[in-house]
Amino acid sequence: MPETLQNPYAQWFLATAVLAALSYMFVRRELRVRATAYGSFLAACIVAFWPPYARVVDGREIPGKVRLGLDLQGGIHIVMQVITDDALVAVVDDGVQTVREAASRKGITIEKVQRQDITSFVIEGVEAARIKDVQEELRTQFPTGWDISPPEPGGRIVLKLTDAEARDLRERTVEETRRTLDRRVNVLGVAEPLIAIHGDKHDQILIQLPGVKDIGAARRMMQRTAQLALKLVEDSNSTKEALLAGRGGKEPAGFEVVQGSGDEPGRPVFYLVHREAIVTGRDLKNARAGVDENNQPDIEFTLTPAGGDKFGRATGANVGKRLAIILDDLVESAPVINSKITDRGTITGRFSQQEAEELAKVLRAGALPASLKPLQEISVGASLGQDSIKAGVWATGVAMTLLGLFLLAYYKLSGLNAIVALTANLIILLGAMAAYEATLTLPGIAGIILTVGVGVDTNVLVFERIREEIRNGKPVRNAINNGFERVWITILDTHATALIAAAFLFQFGTGPIKGFAVTLVWGLIANVFASYFVSKFLFEWVLGKRQVATLSI
Amino acid sequence: MQFLKTPNFDFLGLGRICLAVSALLVVGSIGLVASGGLKYGVEFSSGTQLIVRFTQAPDIDKIRGAVEKVSPGATIQRFGAVENKQVLIRIGDHKEGEEDLSAGANAVLQSLATMYADNKVADSSTEIVGPTVGAELRRKAIQLTLFGLFFQLIYIAWRFKGPVWGSAATIAVFHDVIITLGLLAVFRYEITLNVIAALLTLVGYSVNDTIVLFDRVRENLRQRRKEPLPKLINDSVNQTLSRTLISNGTTFLTVLGLFLAGGPVLRGFGFAMVVGVLVGTYSTIYIASPIVVWWQSQASKGTGVGGSQIKAAL
Repeated sequence: MPETLQNPYAQWFLATAVLAALSYMFVRRELRVRATAYGSFLAACIVAFWPPYARVVDGREIPGKVRLGLDLQGGIHIVMQVITDDALVAVVDDGVQTVREAASRKGITIEKVQRQDITSFVIEGVEAARIKDVQEELRTQFPTGWDISPPEPGGRIVLKLTDAEARDLRERTVEETRRTLDRRVNVLGVAEPLIAIHGDKHDQILIQLPGVKDIGAARRMMQRTAQLALKLVEDSNSTKEALLAGRGGKEPAGFEVVQGSGDEPGRPVFYLVHREAIVTGRDLKNARAGVDENNQPDIEFTLTPAGGDKFGRATGANVGKRLAIILDDLVESAPVINSKITDRGTITGRFSQQEAEELAKVLRAGALPASLKPLQEISVGASLGQDSIKAGVWATGVAMTLLGLFLLAYYKLSGLNAIVALTANLIILLGAMAAYEATLTLPGIAGIILTVGVGVDTNVLVFERIREEIRNGKPVRNAINNGFERVWITILDTHATALIAAAFLFQFGTGPIKGFAVTLVWGLIANVFASYFVSKFLFEWVLGKRQVATLSI
Repeated sequence: MQFLKTPNFDFLGLGRICLAVSALLVVGSIGLVASGGLKYGVEFSSGTQLIVRFTQAPDIDKIRGAVEKVSPGATIQRFGAVENKQVLIRIGDHKEGEEDLSAGANAVLQSLATMYADNKVADSSTEIVGPTVGAELRRKAIQLTLFGLFFQLIYIAWRFKGPVWGSAATIAVFHDVIITLGLLAVFRYEITLNVIAALLTLVGYSVNDTIVLFDRVRENLRQRRKEPLPKLINDSVNQTLSRTLISNGTTFLTVLGLFLAGGPVLRGFGFAMVVGVLVGTYSTIYIASPIVVWWQSQASKGTGVGGSQIKAAL
């Protein structure tokens, strides 16, 4: 086939031209425009959905134009809740930290700064003489988004995120989560993934990965928060208490305690590290799985130029000290800094090869701003989806054949008219679904069968009415005209009520039911065109201008 | 070919008996549903469902042995035709706050691999639903069905310019949905998302059937204003009977095909549709029509102007 003919528009244009020529030859004048228009529309639909199924050409798979749902092609569907509280807590914790640092910088004594709940923290025991300074400082440090309470007795000030700010923060968190997951899926290399904000409160994320088999691996990759932070180690010990013993029993300002991850059972290690990270996941340029000198899987990363600068300065100044590599609040490893390192490093730990690869991909795609809680997980085996397709196609074929035979037997040549109309209905339905990239699901196939049922109903309504008119002694042409005219209002009413039902089915979100609603909606619309207008045209065309005495109905 | 030349049956004459039968069926169905007779699919009740295809014909007892080890009280049944070699395994509900939803499913698959090693799992599908999702979906399904019905009622009331027709059609639809639910309970079909889709479709279908009749009644009312309404409606039923039989007959055949050949996933859907088409056809003639007649007789008692209210509304 020449190159230009592969262009769908060219195909459609050619088909229309052929149809126009044919109508000029075989259709009488007053019907020509309609014949060409109807034919051209059907040709456009065929071009839109052909070929409907995937096939292999020259060793490459060319996807079909009708998108199949997860239930038919296999794959996974996960709904997870974004724990947006996490993001609020992080912001409030940041606030606590800011206040502590500002206080020590300005030499103000404060007894306690502490998070109260997920949206507020409290400052207590501010020395009375400097309460004004503190208020001043708070106003500059927290200019927007916070309600700062007036000082209470005991030097107590409460800072609370405003409702608008909290809401905004939650929304941004969900959106950022979606974007991060989008990047992770890109790394996975899934064709036609769907990642969307979901649920009535818009705090869930829906992930659909067609063709993916391992639901466990996919979920781990989606769910992992992957917060990477490289922090200098001050000290380490086997219990938290021992670690803090010489330091007054609590974390000194600017330091925190983090537990080790790859510990041997029964021998935990705790690290006292600087609160401030030297570099974080944001400074990563790339990460990939490799092996270390002992042939153990590890993750090798490179830093952005800015991140490399920071890293170089910090490592250069702290040769001989240990550096904690912290992933999701656990220390993976804490190697000694032997020399200044600028733009690359490795994360070693007790990884399997697969874990190392998953982690590298997740690190490349970036960290999630909040943790995720799985709500629903559906996986469909590809071969089980195939079985469903077979059953669906089989049922459709059986139903169509039986209906066709019945229509021919009961309405003779007019039955043939109905079969043409039903075929046109299916062509439009498939064309519209392909053009609007709608997804065909197993209930969607059931929807197609029901569409055929509705199509037959329309034809039967018209035909029975024509028969009735003929029985009442009307001439054939009048009977046909009256038949179509009288049932028009009924067809309108029945289709409108069915569309109302379908519209509500549509609200069921993205699952198989939506696929059912989609086929039903397009089927109903296509049916009005096919079973009414196309069918009427066929009658007029076949009967010609002459006054016929009998009708094959 | 033609089955009925000029039918002239006295449909409404049977009205009382049919109303009694319907009332009995509706009350029975409500009782069944209210007493918890409905079985909910995993998407509505939370839990884990696996569909496993084995390489050879599966031995249910051996599978039960393997599954009971890790998940006592599981439901295990053949899924679809024997030659499909598929088995459905349903294991218990999840507890709130459980982190790893798929732990149960993985344990079952692992146990099958070790305890039933001579018949390997060829492929499997899992559906795992946490408790919040199930409850949310159940609420949504009921809400959407009721909203769908309500808006159809409004549409009919608007098209027919009066509450009589819309109410009659809606009561008929409620009758259909309730009886279908009752039969789903009797035959132990699970209420899945697909079945909900079938219920909403049969709502549309039943209304559709009622509208075809009402449209005909309306047309006749315009031409034969003098005749009593019961006779007019009975004539309209007869006039549309041919269409009703052919059209609903063919639809019945297609959904029957779906029920028998559509595979195990669509079995419940097919069943609900088969029942729905039958009941929907019946309710148009024996529920919706008598209600319109009854409404008219009540109205004429009150005002003494016969069916003129309904007629005037057209």
